[in-house]
Amino acid sequence: MELNPIIKVKDLHFSYNKNPVLEEIDFTISSGEVVSLLGPNGCGKSTLIRLILKLIRSNIGEIKLNGKSIHNYSHKEIAEHIAYIPQYHNVPFNYTVLEMVMMGRVSKLGFFATPSPHDHEIAYESLSKIGISNLANKPFGQLSGGQKQMVLLARALTQEVDTFIMDEPVSGLDYGNQIRLLELISELSRQGYTFLKTTHYPDHALLVSSRVVVMNNKKIIADGKPDEVITSDMINEVYGIGANLIKHEEYIRCLPTFNKGTL
Amino acid sequence: MTHTKTFGILITAMVILLLITVVSLLLGQYPINFNTFMGYVDFKLFGGASNDTYTLLDNIILQIRLPRVLLAILIGASLSVSGTAFQAMFINPLVSPGILGVLAGASFGAALGMLISDQWYIVQMLAFIFGFVAVGVAVLIGSMVTNSRSTIMLVLGGVISGSLFTALLSVIKYIADPYSTLPAIVYWLMGSLTMADLHGVLLVSIPMLLSIAGMITLSKYFDLLSLGDEEAKALGVNVPLVRLSAIILATLASSLSVVMAGMIGWVGLIIPHIIRMAVGPSHRLLMPLSAIVGAIFLLLADSVSRLAFSVEIPLGIITSLIGIPIFIIVLKNARAAWN
Repeated sequence: MELNPIIKVKDLHFSYNKNPVLEEIDFTISSGEVVSLLGPNGCGKSTLIRLILKLIRSNIGEIKLNGKSIHNYSHKEIAEHIAYIPQYHNVPFNYTVLEMVMMGRVSKLGFFATPSPHDHEIAYESLSKIGISNLANKPFGQLSGGQKQMVLLARALTQEVDTFIMDEPVSGLDYGNQIRLLELISELSRQGYTFLKTTHYPDHALLVSSRVVVMNNKKIIADGKPDEVITSDMINEVYGIGANLIKHEEYIRCLPTFNKGTL
Repeated sequence: MTHTKTFGILITAMVILLLITVVSLLLGQYPINFNTFMGYVDFKLFGGASNDTYTLLDNIILQIRLPRVLLAILIGASLSVSGTAFQAMFINPLVSPGILGVLAGASFGAALGMLISDQWYIVQMLAFIFGFVAVGVAVLIGSMVTNSRSTIMLVLGGVISGSLFTALLSVIKYIADPYSTLPAIVYWLMGSLTMADLHGVLLVSIPMLLSIAGMITLSKYFDLLSLGDEEAKALGVNVPLVRLSAIILATLASSLSVVMAGMIGWVGLIIPHIIRMAVGPSHRLLMPLSAIVGAIFLLLADSVSRLAFSVEIPLGIITSLIGIPIFIIVLKNARAAWN
């Protein structure tokens, strides 16, 4: 399959108040990939995502979206290519689920335009694709964490883009919803969507990624196929714990070792 | 909410506003009979034989009541639309149009005008200019402290700027002549529509209506801004542009309302809450509806101010006295609209 690069990051550096946060970041995301960004807290994963979305700017290095520097894109134009799915969160106003999902259509609307019946149709289709049509008129604030995350995913679908960026998608979800969300991502990737997601779980990266990028101490230290990159040595180096990789059913799973009473 | 339902609610609100407008024109020290009024409207629109009553009505309605009623509508709509926009933008339920210091600045400007001149247009011009100066100072402080231009810094800048101009207003009051200028300043600060004249009202109505319309045009972006700047940007909103436009439009509308009527508080704080509780937080309906209901509220408050007692009570006092109990009730139920 000919790989078509969507996001290309080249020799990117970023400092916050003169403290380096990212150094020499180089990687490419191609069409159809599911890339998991793995790394400990504070390694710069979220910063990298915010740079790609142009929420913050770096003067050193380059980020290209479909071959063009993101500095040449407006936020509206970026939103026409990439949908961002933040961690579920509280919203100050109690919008309904449908109203939340409709907000994904704003990037498609002209300055004076109001949403048309066509926009509503797309919002309903997205809800049904995720399987949460029954929530359409519920207040967003009263949903569970898992449901909120699904709504944000449905909102991303209404943007009618091929690339999704997710920040810690399973964070705060209960055990069942974590797996259900991963299954949903896997299903959407089969339909051709491209994903870049950060995660804290090597196990999750093994389940749904086509590629894993590992970051540690501001740099990318590994980039490749999940089962080649995620090894006991890598887990030990990055997280400082032991781990066993076990083949179970058709997947390789990652189980951390647990030492009783090390203190 | 469907298009038809949104449209229905707005039309109903407009009809209620129209009815209250007509009733306000009829009531007063010289009550006008409805049939006489319709005859007068017919005469005004389609011509016919004039008579003494119509000449009298020309004076009472066109010169006295209409400017006042129109001004109440314009100011009520301006303040509550600005308040709704600001509450979404700053993601804060306690924000009112004055948060960036526009009311304090304009009041200082007006007081300065009364101190240095007895020309009314100078007072109005200074009020207008200092409304903008105060917001400019707020924005400057907000962006000086950090270069991230976050909304919390902007609110902080507004608080500082507001306090600065309130202090400067005290300086003016302190040095003003306590027998003539000081009472004029104090009375004017209480807020009143008595200065309304038809020519002046028509003149300010153009920029005021334009800024109200402009803010309503931005409605769909306020939904996204209330999710926070980063999410709004990721969803494709040009956040700095929308925010700057909203600040300029709200400052224009608010300083003009101070120019015309002094300090009128509470409208821009409580109306957005009431409407949000009634129809939900989606700004596409919230913005236009709060404009209409703000107009209705101020029209009713002004009717109370001129009819309830034998002496006219300053409008700003009435809006506070009505607004505070409403706000307490609203706060009790605010959890329905705010998380």
